Amino acid sequence: MEASVPSAPPTFEQHLLPHMDAAYNLARWLLRDPHDAEDAVQEACLRAFRAIGRFRGSDGRPWLLAIVRNVCYSQLRRNRSEPEPFDDEAHGSTHDPAEANAVAWREVKGELLRQGLERLPAEFREAIVLREIEGLSYREVAEISEIPVGTVMSRLARARRRLQAELLALAGKESPHGL
Amino acid sequence: MDCSETRRRIEADIDGELDLVRHLELAAHRQECPECARLDETLRARRAALREALPRFSAPSQLRGKVLAALRAEGMGGAAPAAPMRPAWVIWPNWNLVGVAASIAMALFVGYSWGQARARGNLLLDEAISDHIRSLQFNHLSDVVSADQHTVKPWFAGKLDFAPPVVDLASSGFPLAGGRLEHLAGRPAAALVFRRRQHAINLFIWPAGADPVSDRQAELNGYHARSWCHGGFNFLAVSEISAAELGQFAEIFQAAN
Repeated sequence: MEASVPSAPPTFEQHLLPHMDAAYNLARWLLRDPHDAEDAVQEACLRAFRAIGRFRGSDGRPWLLAIVRNVCYSQLRRNRSEPEPFDDEAHGSTHDPAEANAVAWREVKGELLRQGLERLPAEFREAIVLREIEGLSYREVAEISEIPVGTVMSRLARARRRLQAELLALAGKESPHGL
Repeated sequence: MDCSETRRRIEADIDGELDLVRHLELAAHRQECPECARLDETLRARRAALREALPRFSAPSQLRGKVLAALRAEGMGGAAPAAPMRPAWVIWPNWNLVGVAASIAMALFVGYSWGQARARGNLLLDEAISDHIRSLQFNHLSDVVSADQHTVKPWFAGKLDFAPPVVDLASSGFPLAGGRLEHLAGRPAAALVFRRRQHAINLFIWPAGADPVSDRQAELNGYHARSWCHGGFNFLAVSEISAAELGQFAEIFQAAN
């Protein structure tokens, strides 16, 4: 915020509160449940508030989102048996399926896209949400997801192709579709 | 650049993450290679579809309140929670009455009048200080953030039925930081935000009408307030800076108008 004075210590209200929607959106996509998402955001805000002394820089959004992400994964880990850390290669390739074309993408239904995204592994959902919905840069995604920038690039590629595959599977159930 | 190299970089290019040289190399390759050009078109359409169709969930309205309540329980702000809304009938007292009352102290009704004026004065002061605290707590210091008086002044146009005087006092050590709308003394008011070191000064401005305020200063719970009337407007400045500094601010502001 331009209104803040550089010498003033960061405050939750000034630097983090404006990013409540971003925090909720990430939690909502990761946990796929509105109540769980609210709880996660509350927990993340408490943690952020207690750790505000460690906040450096001017943009609180990546910082808060990194905390939201950690809270969400703690919750997800309780419910899943997948090995840690996440294995990108086991979940998708970076090769282009030949079937899709621009026309098919222009015609794909929004609801189908949302369903497809919900079916991806959490790490892939996260990459797509941060990049496509929040519009964050690779570097910011890398900071939040705690992975190198190169991994952000390949993870996004895998996530988008996997989404494409999910859409094909979903569309196959409904009607003939270009995807 | 060959096709496999292009394919590796095409998504980063669409994401706007390639440097200019590589971006231009890619564009040149697409000119020559219809297959890569088609892939580029497909991936751009995919990106557009994702951006358009994926909803950004907004935090439920009650979540913000819950979070703030939880943080206050943790000791956020250190200030008292914002006071509840004051009823609209609160009016500005004639603080001069206090002085007048002292000079005619033998009159029996004096104690009564003095008490009434004081009570109403405190209500307005309470209200203004609550606004000030709330503006700090809820990150709502400014609706328009600008140090430029020519940005802040037009912002109020159309939002208020009066045009408040706006001046930047940066050269005197009180830079203008922005402005917002407030409701004070039962009517809409302009709030100008000025900075003094790490502190904020809220300057409330509303038409004096039939209730001009007097030149007064007051202190409540560590906050200082200073009021004056000038050019048909009432002014009330509130801040946690010292009474002397706030007085200095008031003088500079009046001199600048």
